[in-house]
Amino acid sequence: MSITPGLLPVGLRDRLPPQAEAASRLLHRVIVAIGRHGYDRVAPPLAEFEEGLVGRLKSARAQDLLRFVDPVSQRTLALRPDITAQIGRIAATRMRHRARPLRLAYGGPVLKLRATQLRPERELIQTGAELIGSDTVAAAIELLGVAIEALETAGVTGITVDLTLPDLVETLAAGPLPLAPERIDAVRATLDAKDAGGLAALDAEAYLPFIAAAGPLDDAMTRLRRVPGADALSSRLDGIAAIAAAFRDRVTLTLDPTERHGFEYQSWLGFSLFGAGLSGEVGRGGSYTIVHADGGEEAAIGFSLYIDPLVDAGLGQEPRRRLFLPTGTDPAAAASLRGQGWTTIAALADGDDAAALGCTHRLVGGEPQPL
Amino acid sequence: MAEPIILAIPKGRILVETLPLLAAVGVVPEAAFSDESSRALRFATNRPDIGLIRVRAFDVATFVAHGAAQLGIVGSDVLDEFDYSELYAPVDLNIGHCRLSVAEPAELAEGDDPREWSHVRVATKYPNLTARHFAARGVQAECVKLNGAMEIAPVLGLSSRIVDLVSSGSTLKANGLVEVEVITQVSARLIVNRAAFKTRAAEIVPLVEAFRRTVAAKTGVRAA
Repeated sequence: MSITPGLLPVGLRDRLPPQAEAASRLLHRVIVAIGRHGYDRVAPPLAEFEEGLVGRLKSARAQDLLRFVDPVSQRTLALRPDITAQIGRIAATRMRHRARPLRLAYGGPVLKLRATQLRPERELIQTGAELIGSDTVAAAIELLGVAIEALETAGVTGITVDLTLPDLVETLAAGPLPLAPERIDAVRATLDAKDAGGLAALDAEAYLPFIAAAGPLDDAMTRLRRVPGADALSSRLDGIAAIAAAFRDRVTLTLDPTERHGFEYQSWLGFSLFGAGLSGEVGRGGSYTIVHADGGEEAAIGFSLYIDPLVDAGLGQEPRRRLFLPTGTDPAAAASLRGQGWTTIAALADGDDAAALGCTHRLVGGEPQPL
Repeated sequence: MAEPIILAIPKGRILVETLPLLAAVGVVPEAAFSDESSRALRFATNRPDIGLIRVRAFDVATFVAHGAAQLGIVGSDVLDEFDYSELYAPVDLNIGHCRLSVAEPAELAEGDDPREWSHVRVATKYPNLTARHFAARGVQAECVKLNGAMEIAPVLGLSSRIVDLVSSGSTLKANGLVEVEVITQVSARLIVNRAAFKTRAAEIVPLVEAFRRTVAAKTGVRAA
């Protein structure tokens, strides 16, 4: 059966005006805002050797990648589902000799193997920043500040930052609230889903108060400090308190100690970013470890934003003044009008219709007149 | 004023037990909500900041996962079937108890040893949960998705076995079926949309807390 002209594969779409332009405008603004903090842009390729990509993506398995055999090298290549792993590769190889902390920025398309009902897009524009060589509280404050500024620059309002403790279960299981090793994964998944009933079924009720502790930051922090066993977390909680103090006047802060969603490879700190009127999260980040080829490890912290939900919410669109230039208009005059901020639509034939071409103004006697 | 919080309530099994729970939390629906013949789908409550919708149990999870409703009440069977990443289930409401089981005709069960299965054909409302359960046991399950009246499938030869909710077991018995394996215990859960839980924490966390206290008071367990 032939494919209907225009039909695209599941999860892929064409962006038309004005969204296509909004997407490139938003990406540009965000990258510029990140760059002003000294994060230099790098641009890794769209596809890589599958082996290299999988090794660095601790959260993705080979079967989660869109793969194909490269006719040239006969090796399996994969399209990137995430750029951060590539930044880790660059930091660990080609830029390993550069001074630390290394500040890098990136932005470009990523492709996911599967779409879900909740996240139907397979192609997304990902952008972000990574700070390599430090994951201290000071590094976290700088990075979160850059993330918030990037969102503000993109026009996102009502920003909520949800702070999380990705290694909570490991830390507690190794200390005050022991768990059998074979049970750790199950407890982690249950806590991630805040599944109180499931936790009871796993005989891990000692972890129940951590589900109840999630919420607005100050309350959550108070409750969390009171949970038996939470002493083991006090250095993390002090770090969270310092981060909160830096941003409490600027954004709404919540604390969710058991969140694990997509923080599978994060260490002491994770955060998700939300905005008013945007469904689901628009970005996330946290601290993690980069592993070098010789087994050496390096601390890092970073964040990623997705441009697509911002475009879908109508951000990045600017009304344009489109000026119709009748045939015979002086090219120099037209150039000067573009210099003043006009978008010009030149008539190619006498019959061209200004209104049908989306113009708001027409040039009459050298002066723009509203249509 | 901010948009009201929407709480999705399932029709059927759990609804009767839900109303006293809601009342204890301080949410009283308008009269039409309890009127089975009402055609309305959306209802007001005594609190202007909380609205209710009454939908099918499976749709409760879908509405809340997509953020169309912020909160919902649904059986853990539905949560396990969908396995939505955007749902939290912070409170086990301790109502609507039953279990999800494999059942087969009594005559088949007599000579049958579940340890020897390699492939089963199952009629069920829960194809994902069923396939996952059998796969974990090393058995390939071919699922026939039905929306109700599973019990009749083995009699008419649609499938040899069924996976369905069992409470007293009387429906199975009336159809000549016996329960051969319990997949999971089921109870109703309060569910919350993940993004709403963060972005509207100031409104939603106290509500969740109220449900948690009410359940704890009812069961005599210390509030967590």
